[in-house]
Amino acid sequence: MTNEDRLTLLETRRHFFRDCGVGVGKLALGSLLARGLQAAVKNPMAAKPPQFPAKAKSVIYLFMAGGPSHLDMYAYKPKLQELDGQTPPESFMKGKRFAFMERMAHQKMLGSPWKFARHGNAGTWISELLPRIASTVDDIAVINTMKTENFNHAPAKVFAHTGSIVPGRPSMGAWITYGLGSESDNLPGFVALQSGPRGPRNGPLIWGSGFLPTAYQGVPFLPGSEPVFNLGSQPGVTPSRQQRALDAIRDLNTMRFEQTGDDEIATRIAAYETAFRMQTSGPDLMNLAGESKATLELYGAEPGKTSFANNCLLARRLVERGVRCVQVYHTDWDHHASIKSGMEKVCREVDRPSAALVQDLKQRGLLDQTLVIWGGEFGRTPLSDGEKGQAVGRNHHIDAYSTWVAGGGTKPGQTIGETDDIGFHAVEDQVHVHDLHATMLHLLGMDHQKLTYRFQGRDFRLTDVAGKVVAKLLA
Amino acid sequence: MLATIMFLWLAFSVLLAAQQPVFDREVRPILERNCLGCHNQKLKMSNFSIATRTELLKGGKRGGSPARILEAIRQEGNLRMPPSYKLKQEEIAIVEKWITAGASMPESAFVKTDAKPNHWAFAPVKRPLVPEVRNAPWARTPVDRFILARLEKARMTPSPEAPKGTLLRRLFLDAAGLPPSPDELQAFLNDTRPDAWQQWVARALDSPHYGERWARRWLDQARYADSDGGSRDEPRQIWRYRDWVIRATQNDMPFDRFVLEQLAGDLLPNATNDQLIATGFHRNSPIQIEAGTDREQYRTEAVVDRVDTTGTVFLGLSVGCARCHDHKYDPISNREYYQLYAFFNSTDDWSEDRPRYNARFNNLVHVHGPLVEFAAPDVIERRNDVLLKLVTLDEKLTDYKRENKVKADDPFVKETEAEIARLQTLLPKGLEGSMIQRELPRPRETHIMLSGDYLHKGDRVYPNTPSFLGALPARETPLNRLDFARWLTARDNPLLARVAVNRIWQEYFGRGIVETENDFGTQGTPPTHPELLDWLAAELMDSGWSRKHIHRLILNSAVYRQSSEARDDLMESDPRNLLLARQTRLRLDSEIVRDVSLVASGLLSPKVGGPSVFPPQPAAAMSASQIKKVWKASSGEDRYRRGMYTFFWRVTPHPALIVFDAPNGMTACTRRNRSNTPLQALTLMNDTAFHEMAQAFALRLLRESTPGLRLDHAFRVALARQPHAKERERLQTLLATERDDLATHPEEAGKLLASTAPKDVDRLELAAWTTMARVILNMDEFITRE
Repeated sequence: MTNEDRLTLLETRRHFFRDCGVGVGKLALGSLLARGLQAAVKNPMAAKPPQFPAKAKSVIYLFMAGGPSHLDMYAYKPKLQELDGQTPPESFMKGKRFAFMERMAHQKMLGSPWKFARHGNAGTWISELLPRIASTVDDIAVINTMKTENFNHAPAKVFAHTGSIVPGRPSMGAWITYGLGSESDNLPGFVALQSGPRGPRNGPLIWGSGFLPTAYQGVPFLPGSEPVFNLGSQPGVTPSRQQRALDAIRDLNTMRFEQTGDDEIATRIAAYETAFRMQTSGPDLMNLAGESKATLELYGAEPGKTSFANNCLLARRLVERGVRCVQVYHTDWDHHASIKSGMEKVCREVDRPSAALVQDLKQRGLLDQTLVIWGGEFGRTPLSDGEKGQAVGRNHHIDAYSTWVAGGGTKPGQTIGETDDIGFHAVEDQVHVHDLHATMLHLLGMDHQKLTYRFQGRDFRLTDVAGKVVAKLLA
Repeated sequence: MLATIMFLWLAFSVLLAAQQPVFDREVRPILERNCLGCHNQKLKMSNFSIATRTELLKGGKRGGSPARILEAIRQEGNLRMPPSYKLKQEEIAIVEKWITAGASMPESAFVKTDAKPNHWAFAPVKRPLVPEVRNAPWARTPVDRFILARLEKARMTPSPEAPKGTLLRRLFLDAAGLPPSPDELQAFLNDTRPDAWQQWVARALDSPHYGERWARRWLDQARYADSDGGSRDEPRQIWRYRDWVIRATQNDMPFDRFVLEQLAGDLLPNATNDQLIATGFHRNSPIQIEAGTDREQYRTEAVVDRVDTTGTVFLGLSVGCARCHDHKYDPISNREYYQLYAFFNSTDDWSEDRPRYNARFNNLVHVHGPLVEFAAPDVIERRNDVLLKLVTLDEKLTDYKRENKVKADDPFVKETEAEIARLQTLLPKGLEGSMIQRELPRPRETHIMLSGDYLHKGDRVYPNTPSFLGALPARETPLNRLDFARWLTARDNPLLARVAVNRIWQEYFGRGIVETENDFGTQGTPPTHPELLDWLAAELMDSGWSRKHIHRLILNSAVYRQSSEARDDLMESDPRNLLLARQTRLRLDSEIVRDVSLVASGLLSPKVGGPSVFPPQPAAAMSASQIKKVWKASSGEDRYRRGMYTFFWRVTPHPALIVFDAPNGMTACTRRNRSNTPLQALTLMNDTAFHEMAQAFALRLLRESTPGLRLDHAFRVALARQPHAKERERLQTLLATERDDLATHPEEAGKLLASTAPKDVDRLELAAWTTMARVILNMDEFITRE
């Protein structure tokens, strides 16, 4: 498109908006024209075709921060039950490195206090902590042999998000939007949602864009009707006043564009229009009151509150609107002590909304194109942990833990990976974090080895120099 | 006759050359850049090497003939090379022609010899002759002759000079990051001296804010931040290092000295406090504080960060690639990487031999040390003594509680708590310090880490520099950082000066003479103007490493003073503006977007240096961190300081900084992205700080000008020019609408105005101008260096 073409487009739009007296974002035809303009400008978030036909269009990652105990939810280990209270065989401990190494010497085996049963047609083992997830188990694939690299929360979390233990690399959501852009014109392409008492460790660095352009960083949504910083206007700036200001800015920028011929100005004109659309669509997005009672009930969501349940529902609303990647955080899974009461509490909070999200997406025909991932940064030891006199818990464990996936072209109703009798090591089908990332990108239509960005003289990628697509996970 | 034969022969060889690519000039770079990394004699991926002609013709595991190579690079079949991208069409065509013509090449074309590689950036800097040009009057400085010679060769003409107002704003923004005042503008417009421009360049470079502007660029490379960046993201004391950079830059400290003091100031004889503070450069590495962490792992990561940063910042090389294996493209072996590492491996850092972090007493001195401290020695000693006792007692107490069932009135617990309470009253608070480097009395042993893993030790190595740049001679005492810094800043180092002038250049033209400003290795882009690069590098060194001299050379040039407007003819001939037949519009840096708004509003505090400050930010901006942090907005002068003084939390940086691409402080940033996003629009339109500035701008306009001249004044303040007729008309329409609207809804005016708005102005008019001010401060031109 030449400068003249672009100007004609702008001219058309200007005429349209000014002379027809129609505001930006108020009219379907207006947004069509805007789309045309956006195609002309350098919009880093414009939707791009995948490298090959994709199964999934978007990703929702339900992240259980703190290291959920796989041994109490997904990995059924009767042998561990038997060994409960005994000293672990030396062969297990030899050469092993743990967090809080000094207190691991005198720990005993710890069986799960919860009952396990087989569920669904697939007969997937799930413990009584997760009755709702158990009821939708034929829609998900459980991986019991996840493997990560570092046994401390912050680095492991950074690793789970960026494929590196050193913070500052691009997060998976940033890589995905860098590769595919977004299909939403009025919402950020990559959104982070959080509930609970605090943010996850390393906060925004785990949804950051690292060395990728900042346009690809995750935008944390805040509770309330203004999910994004500065979405609301300042006092006295009524919608019509804001509109008049925006119109004038657009016209002045257009004049400058005519004079200088710099595409950046066209891009900025488009960015202001998107910003204004965000101002109008943001509150609508956040308003859950329009959801049916049945839907609210399914998730356990309550309009006006901040909860994991509300965020799961919000995640569905976001992907429905074309958002590419949503990270939903639930914190509080670090049960060194008091695992009994702790797990019961957090499982109660996440079980129903997690299952609801899968079912809701399925009912709406969105599950096929939405990859849902459920998991944390690592799992926990089959050995007890904690100080004497405290209720018992488990330490961090990185050689085997559980994660499940649903939708987006994955094969449901299966359990992948086999661990040893105490859930300590994979004996078959180990799935490394890099492999999960590679598989996620594959489902989105991208080869993890070909999604690269040159920085400081080197081609970087999400999977560093490793990663392979997990064939068994593919439908 | 002879002449005719010569002519025919020449014509024939020219013809031949057109048909058959010349191996060394055309084919070699393509193969070197795209194939040799994997298909060399050492790696021999897929059992295929192209290092010799014999090997190339022999082929590899996946096929033999040169036709197979063509198939692979065309990427039509199942063998697709290179694996992650495709060669350009013209590159494929060159290889195709070359293969069709028989793939002639020297037998050992890519066989590595021990001789220094023949790569332009590794060759010594030699001062080139300034070229002759046809349009000599256009050239104001030697810089111009280099640019013009190239333009003339391409039959292109430079652009006319930008309008005077634009020029002055460009000069002031580039030199000091602040726009000119209307008075300065007027004085410049009236200045008819023949050397007026040179005078104004000198004046701009003498600005007390020059140091700030160019220090911030250096701080990007130093990955400066005010917090640790780990899980807890604790605040750290290192703003004095920032002050040191500002001062050293302002005073034009010779660049070799500037580099040396930052890398090894602590090892200089009788090091001053300033020289110690300068070593903060490599204390900017992030620190990970988390219970249960292996501190050695993170100490190792910090050393890696320092080695990689050193390579990127000073050598423009991706040495980090050699952490796990020999560098694929540049002549840095895995062993040499660890020899380099060894220089940086003996600093005193938070490691297993120091006290743990204790959240109760927040003993950050132990984590952040060594520090240079400013309290009296006896106070420092008392602090150290008491703090260590407190931490030890607390650990004892924790052990005791773990091992015993403790009742409420346990005598040991009571006693210990009482002692802790007593000690706490003795702890001096608020001691000031700055993080520095210090060498351990005995150097640590350095081993090659197999595959970069700190737990897998290979051969022991000793500090030394990479051989392709000149290894240091062996010596009885081990080489240290000071030796490294001296080696780095020596006149014969081919990289330091080239890399430095290239980074200055890129700030003025948006792109370096070497576009890959952080990769001067064989994979980087070749310089667009190699002689100019070398000439500038020679100028830097021969001027006593004066960076201001380089700034002066560039600012006085005609190439710098060109208009930045796009030209139809250039859209065709040089769409990326590589040859610089015009200037480039550049969106201002994140911090400067704030600064120009502060200047327009009249609120800017001109104070230079000092601790970081807390301008307002959205209330929820700190909510995403693990440890809750309070952001109490500064009041008074500190509320209106330049953007570069905003306290930078690595985990939760100020949103307005990040949204305009401020670097995240985790790794060295040698060139900023310039993104252009809706969140930027929301920030400028709706953010409290920017709104406050618009309100103040409006008030200033009412105070400083009469109604008829107000718009002109606004444009002079904000854009250093007069409005065009169309702009004037558009804004007058807006003003009229605003006035009408406010007349019908006067209650809205009250809301629009700041609570501090004075009573003696026409409040409706002030409210109408607040909208005008917002519009002007949101113009693309306002946040752009034209």
